[in-house]
Amino acid sequence: MKTFSAGLLVLLALVGALAYFSLFIVDQTQQAIVLEFGKTKKVIKDPGLKWKIPFVQTVQYFDKRILDLDTPAQEVIASDEKRLVVDSFARYKIVDPLLFFQTVRDERIARSRLGSILDSSLRRVLGTATLQDVVRDKRKDMMITLTNFVNQEAKSFGIEIIDVRIKRADLPAENSQAIYKRMQSERHREAAEFRARGQEEALRIRAEADRQVTILKAEATRDAQKIRGDGDAKRNEIFANAYGKDAGFFAFYRSMQAYENGLLADGTKLVISPDSEFFRYFNNPAGGASRR
Amino acid sequence: MPWSDKNGGGWKSGGGRGDGPWGQKPSGGGGPGGNQPPDIEEMLKKGQDKLKQAMPGGGMNKSFLFLVSAIALAAIAFFGFTVRVNPDEVGVVLRFGKFHDQLAPGLNFRYPYPIDKIYLPKVTRINRTSVGFRGGSSSRFGNSSGDVAKESLMLTGDENIVDVDFVVFWQVGNAKDFLFEIQNPVSTVKEVAESAMREIVGQNDIEPILTERRAKTELAVLDLMQKTLTQYKSGIRITQVQMQKVDPPGDVIGAFRDVQAARADQDRLKNESETYANRVIPEARGEAQKIAQEAQAYKEQTIAQAEGQADRFVKIYNEYAKAPEVTRKRMFLETMEKVLGRSEKIIIDNKGGGTGVVPYLPLNELTRKRGGGQ
Repeated sequence: MKTFSAGLLVLLALVGALAYFSLFIVDQTQQAIVLEFGKTKKVIKDPGLKWKIPFVQTVQYFDKRILDLDTPAQEVIASDEKRLVVDSFARYKIVDPLLFFQTVRDERIARSRLGSILDSSLRRVLGTATLQDVVRDKRKDMMITLTNFVNQEAKSFGIEIIDVRIKRADLPAENSQAIYKRMQSERHREAAEFRARGQEEALRIRAEADRQVTILKAEATRDAQKIRGDGDAKRNEIFANAYGKDAGFFAFYRSMQAYENGLLADGTKLVISPDSEFFRYFNNPAGGASRR
Repeated sequence: MPWSDKNGGGWKSGGGRGDGPWGQKPSGGGGPGGNQPPDIEEMLKKGQDKLKQAMPGGGMNKSFLFLVSAIALAAIAFFGFTVRVNPDEVGVVLRFGKFHDQLAPGLNFRYPYPIDKIYLPKVTRINRTSVGFRGGSSSRFGNSSGDVAKESLMLTGDENIVDVDFVVFWQVGNAKDFLFEIQNPVSTVKEVAESAMREIVGQNDIEPILTERRAKTELAVLDLMQKTLTQYKSGIRITQVQMQKVDPPGDVIGAFRDVQAARADQDRLKNESETYANRVIPEARGEAQKIAQEAQAYKEQTIAQAEGQADRFVKIYNEYAKAPEVTRKRMFLETMEKVLGRSEKIIIDNKGGGTGVVPYLPLNELTRKRGGGQ
């Protein structure tokens, strides 16, 4: 009984050891190649439980996911001589692990190789474009071109470039200052224009108002004069009608009124000779004496 | 290594002391899966110590050992074969490294570690990635709190520079892609966000970006980011892009504010002059009315007076016509009576000396009096 259980233990240990050395797991995020004394035996792209010949074969794992490549920002001179600080990044994938292993061995080396490829491509692509193209018009096209450029070279490493994107394309600090100054002067111009336009409009509105006022008053005065004239005309007509009945009596009547109104005021001093018609009976009750 | 433990043969024999491979194993099971079963070795030791205290004789030692190992086995079975998925998570099972299944929240069955590996990404949580600043919220004033100029300053299409801080809210949309298709999903979100914002800002002029295009910019950035992240098969869903601060850079913000002030000034000047116009024109209209009314009044008055006078004349004339001589004399005398009755008069008989009196007239006095009277 005792020897049997000891034997079982040994057997189990052996099975365990065998399993340990011959089975391996390729993770969902991984791919692997199986090497036999350095010679490639298998390329494994599906995840799962795999086996190999213990001690003879070794396994090299590679990432299957999309990987980062972020290069430091660099200065590029655009075709219009403007300098740009460009920061780009790429996303890539190891599609041929065998080729990858043969050419660059690991991700660290791959990154530095890809980095220099990306830098030179960037220079090549952006160097033919103007600043306007980079910032505004052709950014998208240029990123596609960049992706293709880098992809062509990366293919030889078993790498596929998923995407190259320009993260930043800015002017160097000293150029930024110039832009700030320009922005400021533009704003000053704009502000001055707004204020001047305000003045202009204000003056126009005031002048128009003044004009309307003058016209309104002038027209009113004109109409008023007409009306007054109508009144005066009517008056003359009325008088002419009435007084025309007897011109002699009118002269007498009107004179009497004029005497009364003209001489009635206080303080009028009259120096009269007593032989006027009024004093006809002054000296002589029979009348006519004062007549000479 | 864990593999050798798979048959678990060492369990029964080593169970008494708990120093077998199992002592290590459960902690291995907890590794990437997240479940951390209690330290079995510790438990067993404690149990044994307790027993020794309770039964110093040690007569029942064997059956007690059996009981303890049964409990321990049950505990291991429970912790090793189940996984708890919280409501905000989803469980992603890799069986021998290969994607096997997704687990809903709750208690789920699993195989222990080397067979099943469990990931528990938080799929309902909304994550935020801020660009252009660090910390809770973007400060509106200068570079004082956590503003990262390198990230936030960008060129616009008309070669101006604008300072944009924004936040991207995102969610794990596809847990499998999120976990297995991309190496650094979180940093990718940020890099894609920066790139997308710059691309969109670069397509527009500064003026609309600062003012009315804000919402459109947010949407365009969201679209572009989502497109790129979908292309990467990242399993990330962008829920919102929120621009926190869109300002001209600190150096020129004063000039921009002055433009706003100038606009206000323009409106103010216009309003002031309109106020003037609105006051002056109605006043003038009123004055015109007044002039017209006065003229009308003059006309009516003149006519009325004329009519009155004419009427009176006609009436007097009618009387006069009946007895012209008498009436004429009477009127003359009455008038003279009135005129002379009120005036100072000097009557000089001129018959004798001709102009003899004239030298005595105090003309100076007369004029002086009149001047004083006025």
